[in-house]
Amino acid sequence: MIGLALQMLRADRAKYFAMILAVALSIFLMQNQASIMMSVFAMTGAQIRDVSEAQFWVMEPDTECFDQVKPVPANALYQVRGTEGVSWAVPLMKFDGYARTESGKLSVVTMMGVDDASLVGLPPRILKGRPEAVRERGTVMIDPGGANLLFPGEKDVLGKRVRIGSESLRVVALSDASAPFTGFPILHMARTTALMLRQAEERDTTFIVGALQTGADMSEVQRSLQERFGLKALTSEGFMKSSEAYYAAQGIPMLFGLTIVIGLVVGTVITGQTFMMFVKENSRHLAVLKVVGVTARQFAGMLAAQASTVVFLGCCFGTALAAGTSELARGQPFLRGLYLPGWVAVATCAALAAVTVVAVMMSFRKIQQLEPAAVFR
Amino acid sequence: MISAPEIRKTSAPNERWNAVACQGVKKSFGEGEARVEVLRGVDFGATLGEMTFLVGPSGCGKTTLISVIAGLLDPSEGQLRVLGHENGEMQGSARVLFRRRNLGFVFQQYNLLPSLTAAENAAVPLIADGVRRSVAVKRAAELLDRLGMGDKAGAMPKVLSGGQQQRVALARALVHEPRLIICDEPTAALDHKTGESVMQLLATAAVAPDRAVIVVTHDNRVFHHAHTIAHMDDGVVTRIETQKH
Repeated sequence: MIGLALQMLRADRAKYFAMILAVALSIFLMQNQASIMMSVFAMTGAQIRDVSEAQFWVMEPDTECFDQVKPVPANALYQVRGTEGVSWAVPLMKFDGYARTESGKLSVVTMMGVDDASLVGLPPRILKGRPEAVRERGTVMIDPGGANLLFPGEKDVLGKRVRIGSESLRVVALSDASAPFTGFPILHMARTTALMLRQAEERDTTFIVGALQTGADMSEVQRSLQERFGLKALTSEGFMKSSEAYYAAQGIPMLFGLTIVIGLVVGTVITGQTFMMFVKENSRHLAVLKVVGVTARQFAGMLAAQASTVVFLGCCFGTALAAGTSELARGQPFLRGLYLPGWVAVATCAALAAVTVVAVMMSFRKIQQLEPAAVFR
Repeated sequence: MISAPEIRKTSAPNERWNAVACQGVKKSFGEGEARVEVLRGVDFGATLGEMTFLVGPSGCGKTTLISVIAGLLDPSEGQLRVLGHENGEMQGSARVLFRRRNLGFVFQQYNLLPSLTAAENAAVPLIADGVRRSVAVKRAAELLDRLGMGDKAGAMPKVLSGGQQQRVALARALVHEPRLIICDEPTAALDHKTGESVMQLLATAAVAPDRAVIVVTHDNRVFHHAHTIAHMDDGVVTRIETQKH
């Protein structure tokens, strides 16, 4: 009976395609919004993740997220290095400024000043140039988004210059830095260059990043830094979560969540309603099947097969559309942080399938209520 | 050619009703003041190897009676025995399975599934009973061939004429070799010539020693095919005639 059920479903092409389209668009909407939300939250910790060598981050106690920072006191680096359990620690500067190119392009940029000797803090992947080149005073490394914004249409940005304040900096490398939450270009430079740009600042270290000695207890180090020096220390993971939580509290999940719920409701309502119409329009034929001896269990199997087909095809098309859109977006420098996590694809399909099953079961109830004797009238 | 029938009036021949036997069957719908008694004590039956016609004016209760016989409706009162099984003996899925294996149906409006071919439509009772689709469709196609529809087995219902659709419906009623066939106005939607050919086909293909056929009809031009004619009026069978062929 499953084969007959699918044949009946496919015969009504308009409804068949309408249901698949409804599921596909619903899945697309849900996955697209969920993936944007997940990507946006992933971006809040992108620059923390990029400092892959660091196990912990030390900061001012008031710091809640990566983008809202207050520099630490000048002697903090030595205090951290002198704390028991710390293997190594280096300073990291993070500040924003305006960058202008020779052609007149202007943009707010986020700048990261890394330790000259270790270069801890540079992104793990470099697309063009050598990372060591930034040790030269007055040089910077730029990310793809920044390169695209400040030097549009340029195939090779190495050797180009950006002016920050009164200083002209030469681009010596193109990094594959993760897309930032702010969307600003990311310029990595050596601390020496960064200090040159921040001469007037009293505090010149934003974070101290480091690693623990083997066997050292992070909570002990955290407690020690807090009690002795009033500094806050978080693991890289903890700092990313703290940054995510900060932005989550701004209402972002609610806005995305609303769209996701709308996608779910619209998709299932359209699919469920169309299924109901399909059952209603076929009620005479279904009554005939009842008369010739099709059991309730067989009807349930038939409906399940029809619903599964619609949901499966709709989910496939919707996911392909969402993944395709995500891939297309990743091709754009500023949207490179967008991605469709596998679990989001699975979860949205499962959610829609579950709600559709409920909607389709209502159609089953309609079939159960069908009066088979009506076929004689 | 069928010879002119000999008509004689009989009393209710209960002992002959070895396929279907109804005694004092009542069926009402609604409650209280809205209650309508459609069957008011029906004595009716059908015999294996015979075609029994159930005739009467519209609204006299014919459709309700065949619905009760088919197990689609429960009688409110009375005794009903279908192919040796008493009313109430089977409930729920057991009754559905009994109907699936032992009863065949032909409807006034053919009621073919528009998305299935003629052979697939005819094969539905077999497929519902778990026969593999390819086997069921093959058997249905062979039956259609015997009913003169061999070249139309792969045709969709919308391209078939009324008579052809009714032949497919007849094949659907016969394909699983049921012991009781219930036909509801099988010629009502057909012109006289086509209706007559369908009835001839029904008489030759459906009537068998171990099978009973009940035909509800208004069409007195096909009465000569009947072995027995039960006349209904106002919820009761008023007269039963037998015809010799």
